[in-house]
Amino acid sequence: MRRLFYLVREAWANMRTNRTTTIVAVLTTAFTLACVGIFLLLYVNLRHAAGSLQEDVKVIVYLEDRLPRERVQELGRTLKIDRMVAEVFFISKERALGEFRAQFPSESHLLEGLGENPLPASFVVTLAPNFRSPDAMKGWVERVQTMEGVAKVDYNQEWLSLLAELIGYIELAAIGVGILLSAAAVTIIGNTIRLALLARREEIEILRSIGATRTFIRIPYFIEGAVLGACGSALSLGILKGAFELFRQQIQLTGRFSGIGDMISFFSLSVCLALVVVGMGLGFAGSVVSLLRVGQGRA
Amino acid sequence: MDAIIQLIHVSKWHDRKAALSDVTLEIEKGEFVFLMGSSGAGKSTLLRMLIGEEQPDEGQIFVHGRNVTKLRPAEIPSLRRKVGAVFQDFRLLAKKSVFDNVALPLIVQGASEKDIRRKVTEALRAVDVDHKKDQLPNSLSTGEQQRVCIARAIVNGPVVLLADEPTGNLDPERTREIMELFKLINARGTTVIVTTHDPHVLNHMNRRVITLVQGVLLSERRIRQGVGA
Repeated sequence: MRRLFYLVREAWANMRTNRTTTIVAVLTTAFTLACVGIFLLLYVNLRHAAGSLQEDVKVIVYLEDRLPRERVQELGRTLKIDRMVAEVFFISKERALGEFRAQFPSESHLLEGLGENPLPASFVVTLAPNFRSPDAMKGWVERVQTMEGVAKVDYNQEWLSLLAELIGYIELAAIGVGILLSAAAVTIIGNTIRLALLARREEIEILRSIGATRTFIRIPYFIEGAVLGACGSALSLGILKGAFELFRQQIQLTGRFSGIGDMISFFSLSVCLALVVVGMGLGFAGSVVSLLRVGQGRA
Repeated sequence: MDAIIQLIHVSKWHDRKAALSDVTLEIEKGEFVFLMGSSGAGKSTLLRMLIGEEQPDEGQIFVHGRNVTKLRPAEIPSLRRKVGAVFQDFRLLAKKSVFDNVALPLIVQGASEKDIRRKVTEALRAVDVDHKKDQLPNSLSTGEQQRVCIARAIVNGPVVLLADEPTGNLDPERTREIMELFKLINARGTTVIVTTHDPHVLNHMNRRVITLVQGVLLSERRIRQGVGA
């Protein structure tokens, strides 16, 4: 117990002795991790938005004109038993005309002159959640398009693909920036630990001479690195949360993109805790890098 | 008697200069030995080798039955826990109390709280600084600091006590006191090896003296009366 108390107290003493270095390390780590956090937040929100949008995506299967009622019913049954389909809703020519008139009352006169109702009957299909990825949708649409009686299948494929592509790029950028800036955080904490080691070199020699193992000597520095990383990470989350709320407030004040304000969200508590643990891990890695030199050789 | 320390044809070079040259010697269990020699004679090098801080370029060293030259790095701490060390510059932690300084070897070994209290109190009593246990080392006199250093070296009951010029910073009176303390520790069965360049330290000591000159073991003798007095 006293041993554990000693090790924790030593770590605390290290941080107190090198107070300025410790504060600078926590601040720089916090700003570094906040940069990674921005990408992560953007990525998480875009993925969330893409998920919501994909839930709303409906595929419209337009039918050929004058298709016999039996074929229409058969097509409806085929679509309903398809394992990729969650929901099918039939819109007759008449209903399509009615909806057009209801939605665009000022333009309804355009259809008057045509005599016959030019709008086709259609099935509005919602795909099952597991098959809403752009690739799955594309495959399904290509299959349905070849069915007899189907005139055209419509869905906003381009837009969805573009969004998926954008998310892919942001994911790549987040990984790249994450690796680079994490390495920077490890270096910053590593240097802080190295300074602490230099300041306490004599003490380390004394500990060695009385039979302290390498692990015993290193543990306070591992603790210090982990604490610095965790503090830096927690502070970066605080900075991000502040900036996030400011951004949301600005959106609501200006009135523009007001829908976005409700769509975006900050990291959940579990993600925040995971990020603090990641920060702790980075700090620990920084200590390991610095301590590789300590205790090298036989003594 | 059993040899607790054995050096067999040990040589060591520092920058092509022999720090120790073909030294062979044995020290028996419970002996009190002085290592005499001027600065650069190889006394400190020899002591550093006994606790695995340096390795010989040639030869073998045995301490308490273990071949120090063959120890793996992970085994060195256990050797150092059996060999107490006292330094000329005391090497006390300035920000820790006398009690905490002396407790350090026990904390390192993972001793229980109860054992730490008992053994530290005993060690401080043995060197007569128990009344200053809560003070910081810098508030003590040099003689008291050396006593604290000795208490730290004996607190975990080492089989060998090495003292590298322990009286180098002390006046004759404090020197006499410290040497009496070493005699007491030796009387309890601990093998004591003291290095010194000062012949006056040998006054009134009936002990074995090994003299080193430029890394060569020059002579061995047993003195009965003080020299240089």
